[in-house]
Amino acid sequence: MTTRSKFRLSLRRFALLGGIAIAAIVAGPSGAHKDPVTPEQLKAYEAVFMEQVRKGDLLFHGDQAMAEQLGVAEDLSKTGMACAMCHPMASDTHPQSFPKFQAQMAKFATLRDMINWCIEKPNQGVKIDPESEAMKALEAYITWSNTGSVLQPGKF
Amino acid sequence: MSDELDRIRREMHSVLQPEGVRPDDTLKITRRTFIHGSLIFGAATVGQTFAWWPLLNTLDIAHAAEAPFKFAWISDTHLYPRSLNTRFVDKVVRAAQEVQAMDPPADFLIFGGDLAQLGKIEELELGVDLLKDITVPKHYIPGEHDWYLDMGKKWGELFGQPNWTFDHKGVRFIGLDTVSRAPDYWTAKNMTPEERMGHMATLDGTVAGPWAGVGRDQLDWMEKTLADWDKDRPVIIFSHNPLYEYYPPWNFWVRDWRQVHEVLRPYTKVTNIHGHVHQVLYNEIGTLRSIGMLATSWPWPYAPEGVPKLTKPMIRVDPGDPFDGVGWSKIDVAATDEVNTEYVMWGRKEVFVQSAADYDKHVSEVIRPRIADNMWPY
Repeated sequence: MTTRSKFRLSLRRFALLGGIAIAAIVAGPSGAHKDPVTPEQLKAYEAVFMEQVRKGDLLFHGDQAMAEQLGVAEDLSKTGMACAMCHPMASDTHPQSFPKFQAQMAKFATLRDMINWCIEKPNQGVKIDPESEAMKALEAYITWSNTGSVLQPGKF
Repeated sequence: MSDELDRIRREMHSVLQPEGVRPDDTLKITRRTFIHGSLIFGAATVGQTFAWWPLLNTLDIAHAAEAPFKFAWISDTHLYPRSLNTRFVDKVVRAAQEVQAMDPPADFLIFGGDLAQLGKIEELELGVDLLKDITVPKHYIPGEHDWYLDMGKKWGELFGQPNWTFDHKGVRFIGLDTVSRAPDYWTAKNMTPEERMGHMATLDGTVAGPWAGVGRDQLDWMEKTLADWDKDRPVIIFSHNPLYEYYPPWNFWVRDWRQVHEVLRPYTKVTNIHGHVHQVLYNEIGTLRSIGMLATSWPWPYAPEGVPKLTKPMIRVDPGDPFDGVGWSKIDVAATDEVNTEYVMWGRKEVFVQSAADYDKHVSEVIRPRIADNMWPY
C-alpha cells in the first residue's frame, strides 16, 4: 500500500467516526446506547444506595451482626471502639476534603486510606480490603451523612 | 429549624436571657494568659482576628472562699474490661496519679459520670480500683453508661444516692443525677438490658429519644436544698449532662433544662460544671454559667451548629495521639475569691483553644441525622 492510499483510508475512517458522532448528537440521548432513566429505575438505584448507607451506618456504630454479615467482625476494632464514638453522625470525617495530604499518614490519601488508618490506629484493628463491600458501605454512609457539605478536595 | 421551633426558642430566650442579665459581674471570665513566646508572636501577628485563649477560665466568686482550696474533676473514663482496652485504663491511672500529686492537695475529687462503658459490674469495679489511690474524699455522680445495664443497681451499691449536697468553705455544692430518668422506651420493645445499654451508649442514637432529664422530684429536692442559702452566695452544681439545649440531635442535653433554670434563677452566682461533652465548652444563660469538661477517654468533635457563642473551641485534635484532647481538670478557689477552672489536657505542651497554624483550616460540614436506627426491628 502506498503512502497516498494509507492517507485516503485514514480520511475515510475519520469521516465514518465523525458521521457516527454527528448522528449521536442529532438523535440525542434516547438514540445513544442507553435508554432514558425511568422514575422506577431511579427509585431502584436509590434503594441500592440507601441499603449500602444503612449497612455502613450499622458498621460505623459497631453493630456486630452487620460486621459478621460483611466478614469484617474480626477486623474493624479490637478495643471496643466504634467509628461513631469519635464521629457522631459521621461528623469530622470530612469526606468532601479527600483526597488530600493526611498528616498522620504523611502521605496523599483517599477516604478509604483514612478509614483503614482509623481501623488500624484508634481501633487497633486490621485493615480491610479497600474494594470490599464493608469499605464501600462505610464510604457510602460517611459520604451520605455529609451530603450538602462543600466539596473542598485537598483541604487540611 | 421549623418556624414553630424557632418561635419557641426565641420565647425561651427572652425569659431565660433577658437583656443585660448575665452571671454576676464578679463571675465573668478574665482572659488570663500563659507567658509564652508563641503567645506574644500570635498576639503580634493576628491581633484581634482570633483570640489566644488559654484553656483557663477564671471565675470570680464573691464570698466563695473562707479559705483557699482546690478540688479536682475527672469524668468520662468509659472503662472497658482491662483485657479488651488498656488505653482508657492507662489514662485513668495517669489522671489518678496527677490528682494525688496535686500540691497543695485537692480538698476533694468530683467524678462526673461515665465511669464504665457498658455498665458492666467489672467495668464499674475496675473504675473504683483505679481511683482508689486517690486518698482525698471522692464524690460521684452517674453517667448513662454507668446506669442502663442494671438500672443503677451496681452504681447504688458502690456509691449510694446519685444526687447529694454539701457545703465547703462558703460554697454550696450540689451533685445532680441527670441520667436515671429516661422515658421507658425499652419495655414495649422487649429490649434486653444489653440492647437498652447499647442505645444509651450512642450519642447520635435516635431510639432512646431525649433521655437526659432532672425530673420534677429532683427539681423539688434542689429547690428545698437551696431554700436556706443566701441568694448572693455561690453555688456550684455538678451534672453529667449540660443543663441547656446543646445540639438536640445528639444526646447531650437535659430535656427539662428550662425548669432547672427556673429553680436557679433567684441565685446570682451559680456555676454548673458538667461532663458528657468530652470537649471545652462555655455557656451563659441568665445568671448560670456552664463549663464543659474534658474526658479521659476520647474527645468528641463540636456539633455542626449550636456551639454556645461564648465557647472558644479547643484546637482540632490529632487522632494519632491518644492523649490529645483528653485529660482532667483542677478547680482552684483562691483566697481572693477567684475560682480557676484549669483544663489539664495531656496532648499538648501549651494548651490554647485556637492556634495560628490551624485556626482557618476548619472544613465546614453539614451533617444528616441517622436512619439505620429507625430501620431496626424494634
